[in-house]
Amino acid sequence: MGSSGSGKSTLLNCIATVIHPGSGSITMNGRQVQALKGAALADYRGKEIGYLFQNFELLDNLTGYENILLPLSLHGVPEKESRKRLEKLAAYLEIKDVLQKFPSQMSGGQKQRVAAARALILNPGIILADEPTGALDSRNAKALMEKLAGLNRNSNTTILMVTHDCNAASYCKRILFIQDGMIFHELRRSIPEESQQEFYERILKAMAQLGGGSANVL
Amino acid sequence: MFFKLISRNSRRNRKENGLLFSSLLVSIIAFYIILALPRQDVMVFLQEMESVAVSKLMTLIPVFYGMALFILFFLIYYASKFQLERRRHEFGVYLMMGMRRVKLFAMLLAEDFRNSILSLAVGLPIAVLLSELVSLVTARLVGIGIVGHQVSFSLHAVWWTAMGFLLIKLTAFLLLSGRISRQEIGSLLTETPDGVKRQLPPLCYAISSLIGILCLAAAYAMAIKGSAWQGIRNMGLTVLLGLLGTFSFFWGLRFLMGLAVRSGRSDRRLHVFNFRQIQETVIHRSGALAVCSLLILSALCCFGAGVAISRFYGESEQHVLDYTFQTTENMHSGADIRQTLAEHHLDTRFSDLFEMKVGHINTSDDTRNAFRMEPVMNALRDMPSSADRDVLLNNLQFTTYPYLISLSSYNRVLTAADMPVLELGTDEAAVYIDSSFTTNGRTRILNEVFRSRPETVLDGNPLFLTGTVQTTKLVTDRTITLSFALILPDDVFERYTQGSYSVYLNGILAQDMARDTSLMSAISEMNSALDGTGLSYESYLQNMGRQLFYMVAASYITIYLAIIFLLIANTVIGVQFLMGQQKSGRRYRTLIRLGAPYRTLCRSARKQIRWYFGIPTVVAVFSSLFGVRALLTGFLSYNAKEDLPEMMLVSAAMILALCVIEYIYVAAVKHSSDRYLLSLIVPEREE
Repeated sequence: MGSSGSGKSTLLNCIATVIHPGSGSITMNGRQVQALKGAALADYRGKEIGYLFQNFELLDNLTGYENILLPLSLHGVPEKESRKRLEKLAAYLEIKDVLQKFPSQMSGGQKQRVAAARALILNPGIILADEPTGALDSRNAKALMEKLAGLNRNSNTTILMVTHDCNAASYCKRILFIQDGMIFHELRRSIPEESQQEFYERILKAMAQLGGGSANVL
Repeated sequence: MFFKLISRNSRRNRKENGLLFSSLLVSIIAFYIILALPRQDVMVFLQEMESVAVSKLMTLIPVFYGMALFILFFLIYYASKFQLERRRHEFGVYLMMGMRRVKLFAMLLAEDFRNSILSLAVGLPIAVLLSELVSLVTARLVGIGIVGHQVSFSLHAVWWTAMGFLLIKLTAFLLLSGRISRQEIGSLLTETPDGVKRQLPPLCYAISSLIGILCLAAAYAMAIKGSAWQGIRNMGLTVLLGLLGTFSFFWGLRFLMGLAVRSGRSDRRLHVFNFRQIQETVIHRSGALAVCSLLILSALCCFGAGVAISRFYGESEQHVLDYTFQTTENMHSGADIRQTLAEHHLDTRFSDLFEMKVGHINTSDDTRNAFRMEPVMNALRDMPSSADRDVLLNNLQFTTYPYLISLSSYNRVLTAADMPVLELGTDEAAVYIDSSFTTNGRTRILNEVFRSRPETVLDGNPLFLTGTVQTTKLVTDRTITLSFALILPDDVFERYTQGSYSVYLNGILAQDMARDTSLMSAISEMNSALDGTGLSYESYLQNMGRQLFYMVAASYITIYLAIIFLLIANTVIGVQFLMGQQKSGRRYRTLIRLGAPYRTLCRSARKQIRWYFGIPTVVAVFSSLFGVRALLTGFLSYNAKEDLPEMMLVSAAMILALCVIEYIYVAAVKHSSDRYLLSLIVPEREE
């Protein structure tokens, strides 16, 4: 979490190799991300990370089904291998009946769940989510966060999420606060003692104290 | 500041949108070339030879100019549209910052005007040079040294070029800026793909493509069979079927595209994405694609027909004679003409002067039965049935009173043409048919008939037809063209004509005369010397002039139109693709975020470009196979239709030329697309 311009999205983009960091290095599973090139880089983008956007970024001229399979066609993965996974994801994310629809025919929540299926289709080690609830109403945001938390719980999928929303953040196990490109605070939810409601309140309190910027650092 | 902005913007426009700038140059060059046509060497030359025909052609120039204005307007319109569309965001920002719409309009107008003037400054010199080059090349190709090269620069042409260009540029600008300025700031600031169009059930589109294919097939059949040429109604129906077929085929094409999306392995790199993109453009622009396809078809037809026609007319008959003098009331015989020539010391300029004697059968008044050739007709009837045989059977039944030609004079023509002379017995005759009245096929049939020396009857006496059909011209040009004549030995000729016949004095210029200058200038010089003698004559120049006229008229106009059509169609296709690509920029950004490398994106876009250009082009090429043949069926006489292999060669050259032009366009569009995609790779901060 962090204020606008603090560098949250930049960090995500660096990890996603969309941009190249000016200095420093990113290590993922023991590998230097910025040193990857060619096929290894494509593999990394396709199979090790999944990206979830605030605005869903579904291609509006592709059906839900085609959108989900897009990473496969980008990274040259045979469709057969992932068909089962697609069915499982579609069932879990409750998007079976919108698979043949175009994004313009879906609700915001459905769009974001289709986008989630797309990010998960290649079974990546980590999901990078850039304000995934930003464009959703509270009901749809809650539904999405429950699904993501469930994925994390059941499939051990790591999710690195950028958010302003304390409610969404309360589903997380660990929260890093970032300001001017520096991590300066961290909150961890003690599981199972601390309930989500209690963690939410703790986040709110931390946010209130952090509100003044670096001058008010705890 | 305002003017600095204008100057900076117009410079950026030129740099970023080479397509627009080159379209502007093309328009200027096209206008100038058509307007400067009367000043071209060939035209100046033809003006002397075929002044009536040339003047008629020249009166058509304003019509062509108007047509070029109309057609090129679309070129400019589309290129400018692309230009303005890509700057939508910028306009939105200007308006957001409080620029008044009037001021924005003034700024755009000033930019536009600045670029127009610059285009004229660059384009006009290129146009003048190109026109000069065309003039020199055509003069050289047709071998005129006569007139001496004249500079084809024409101030009148420059003035009208500039006026026409500014007119269409301004019209396009007003239309486009009107559309842009009416839009909300919000819609200017965001780039959105064209909205979703309401889709009908796929069956409708399948039926539409089927109807399109059926209509096209019917149009092709009508065109090829020649029934299209039987009247305005038939022609109208053919054209209507063709248009309807093309439009409904393109409208229904989305069905086939949908099949393409589903077929093939969808895990091929971006296969589904590519076909959805193409499908989208097909859905939104099926009309424009159909028009482009029709334009390419028109270009191919114009080009093919033009080249074929000019080849046909340009195929000069063997050049043997330079002059033919006719007897008149003052000059009763060949001797009189020779004397007049000698008096003016012109006889020495000829290497050969001989008389051509042609007369009627004066021993008989019975024009219906003077000559009978039943055995020939019977032999023809016995031959296998063919169109040529039927034509011969029909035509020859009327040849009952043929012209007669004296053998010795005809042999002089053959000698001059370096051909073996004819030898005939007293009861033998050879048949002469002017080449414009026969075809290779018909000549072959007759030669076969004459091989058996059929016996005919001339004024009650037996006469055996022998040898092959003679077609070498009797005179220089068109003083006499005979559809059927008998070549008879001199004494027999004298007997039947009873000494009363027409005499034409043929002349061949001395070699050294023609060697010093070109043949054309030798004849032209001779003509001016002869004009003072009062002799009635025709020279090879007239023959040459007519051929040239057809050649130049057909090839200039058709090739000119073909090039313009091709340029417009390709520009429209290219611009539409690039506009569509920019509108769907967001999709490409998503692909980049999903990890698509630059190279994959470029490959995907390139594939789309190939399809986008390929669909209308392939349809046009396919249609042109029928279209060109139909045009040839309608325009050309039987002679030319026989040269199918040669026509095929012309078609191959044509398709090759098309491929080259398409390649250049596709490469340019690919380059633009690659550059655009590269600009997307740099991530943008989105809040």
